Amino acid sequence: MRELTYLEAVREAMSQEMRANEDVFVLGEDIGVYGGAFGVTRGMIEEFGPERIRNTPISEAAISGTAVGAALTGMRPIVELQFSDFMTIAMDNMVNQAAKIRYMYGGKGKVPMVLRTPAGSGTGAAAQHSQSLEAWMAHIPGLKVVQPSTAYDAKGLLKAAIDDDNPVIFYEHKLCYPKKSDVPEEAYSIPLGKADIKKQGSDVTIVATAIMVHKSLEAAEELQKEGIEVEVIDPRTLVPLDIETIVQSVKKTGRLVVVHEAVKRGGFGGEIASLIAESEAFDYLDAPIKRLGGKAVPIPYNPELEKAAVPVVADIVTAVKETLNRL
Amino acid sequence: MAKEIFMPKLSSTMQVGTVLQWFKEEGDPVEVGEPLFEIMTDKINIEVESYEDGVLLKRYFEEDDEVPINHVVGYIGEEGEEVPDLPPGESGVSSKPVSTETPNPQPEAELSDQPSEEPEKVRATPAARRVAREREVHLTEVEGSGPKGRIHQADVERFAPTATASATSGVTPLAEKVAVAEGMDLQEVEGSGPRGKVYRADVEKARQPAAQPVPPAKRVKMAGIRKAVADRMLHSKTTAPHVTLNCDIDMAEVVAMRKQLLGPIEKQTGYRLSYTEIILKATAHALKRHPNINISLEGNEIIQHDAINIGMAVALEDGLLVPVIKDADRKGLVELTVACKTAGQAAKDNKLKPDEMSGGTFTVSNLGMYAVDTFNPVINQPESAILGIGRIHEKPVGLNGQIVLRPMMGVGLSFDHRVIDGAPAAAFLTDLKAALENPFELLM
Repeated sequence: MRELTYLEAVREAMSQEMRANEDVFVLGEDIGVYGGAFGVTRGMIEEFGPERIRNTPISEAAISGTAVGAALTGMRPIVELQFSDFMTIAMDNMVNQAAKIRYMYGGKGKVPMVLRTPAGSGTGAAAQHSQSLEAWMAHIPGLKVVQPSTAYDAKGLLKAAIDDDNPVIFYEHKLCYPKKSDVPEEAYSIPLGKADIKKQGSDVTIVATAIMVHKSLEAAEELQKEGIEVEVIDPRTLVPLDIETIVQSVKKTGRLVVVHEAVKRGGFGGEIASLIAESEAFDYLDAPIKRLGGKAVPIPYNPELEKAAVPVVADIVTAVKETLNRL
Repeated sequence: MAKEIFMPKLSSTMQVGTVLQWFKEEGDPVEVGEPLFEIMTDKINIEVESYEDGVLLKRYFEEDDEVPINHVVGYIGEEGEEVPDLPPGESGVSSKPVSTETPNPQPEAELSDQPSEEPEKVRATPAARRVAREREVHLTEVEGSGPKGRIHQADVERFAPTATASATSGVTPLAEKVAVAEGMDLQEVEGSGPRGKVYRADVEKARQPAAQPVPPAKRVKMAGIRKAVADRMLHSKTTAPHVTLNCDIDMAEVVAMRKQLLGPIEKQTGYRLSYTEIILKATAHALKRHPNINISLEGNEIIQHDAINIGMAVALEDGLLVPVIKDADRKGLVELTVACKTAGQAAKDNKLKPDEMSGGTFTVSNLGMYAVDTFNPVINQPESAILGIGRIHEKPVGLNGQIVLRPMMGVGLSFDHRVIDGAPAAAFLTDLKAALENPFELLM
């Protein structure tokens, strides 16, 4: 099978959906000739033209408001926000409008839109262009939240998000863009709300999202040398969340480490830890649940400090050993 | 304001007390100092007296209930006062001693730098607790391998390995098939194979109805003194590597000496001198020469006792008590006779106080009144050695080239090999034998 990067997989999913469905279009800053801040839409304007690959003014409020309106009137817009940090400016449209319209109109209107946006640190983009704010969105009833970690998942999940009749926030981690994996050429859909076990193991369960899936797999490889078998689960979507897969895994391993790049305080890891503590897996826990997350600081510009602000492979290795009393 | 009645803590090892009987009904008036109820604990029965004037408002526990120390057993207050329907959870250290008989009332609060004597809540993971529930294990008895002694699932599994191997590994496929077809529970089938592997024949045998119904047997809950003895013996036998040295002691001289002293001692004390007292005297004499036997292991420290306090095992109807004869080396046979006889009687009447049963540094257990030649006794911890005494009877022995009949007594000296080695124990036993074979030594 051919390999694609995560970035190419996102582009392919959009292009295939646009070919298949006239109602799908993309809007965002510099997505036309320039090809988007990260090059995701490069070449798409040549195929689909400026009507369907719409360059917008620099106003996330306008972009998101346009998308909500377009979706309400029957289109299936895909918004590209240059950086997920600018969600703050789209907040009213996403939280107070998109998330609630279908409910408040008794189901008579719906908002089938996707808001794609690059998130996370690691590129030297500093404090206003590096955050991971997915927990904000996961907190809002009416929004679905997707966080793919691989090219294969990104393509399948984006198709499912575009096909969904509700607003979906689609987070693309910047460091995942160049990561390659086997991606089928035909269109395929990965249902939202289905976790993926990225590695089987029996000693401890790691639940990780986005770039932390890759770091956890590296950590798992290192731990394997010491005879520690780690199971790595990527929930892939936070809303809906496939807690059942995690429950079954924790019942098997008795230990849970949750890893995300977002600031630990108030991060989504707390939700996963709580759900497990409330679940039937509680009686199988053989160690306290551990959460790893970013430090409570704005992401620094200095590359060394930037690295130190979020979990690294060594942190994950240490956390796993700690839960196993193997330090 | 209603006042709690607490289960008192009467010794450093006491964890629970068993309610034996109440002397008051709910609603009865109670005065300070009146006995409220009787408890059994750590090998003694004791009446707990009231610390308050008022009315007994509530009894949360009844006869045979086991109550952890410092738990609320009931309430005393004014008539009609409201008290909780259920006993409140474990309180901290009660702010005053509950019973005036508490031997060592704990000074509170100001000792905050001292390790508390309260039993810590058990630190155990949910998984460990689940497995403990399934295997009916008390977590207090499991040693935790985790941080701060946290008990993990593997610790419980090590403590109580399952009796049956897992259903898949310990069963042949054929046996499983038969069991499934018959709708039988494989857990109920006893396997005849290696490590209890279940074969088809076992399943079929288990299918046969049992030949005869087993007559019902009387079941008595193991509690109080029986449980205390059981726990302590198991602990001793599983933590101290026991080695026992046996020898025969020629008691001819002791027999003669006892004959001579019997009259005078009885006249002076009203008690008859028995061999036990003479053996105690000789043991104390030998211990004085061998302080390396008169020791205890506490944590990773060896305590060499100055005092020679010898415990004397006394059999009861339902267990055994060990009153301690303090400073046995400084007592003559008259004093020893009085001490042993009164302690023995107090033990039989269940009147021993905790301090009369603590502080022992060595124990003597005498089964000489039975048809026992010799036996290997179990060490009475925290002591490190114990002497078991068999009967005195005539045996042919070689003496100066002749076979002659002599009154011989077989003894077994068990010692804890963690702290005492064979040679020093043997030297002690040799000196003890010499002292009993030449009892005039005891006058030295």
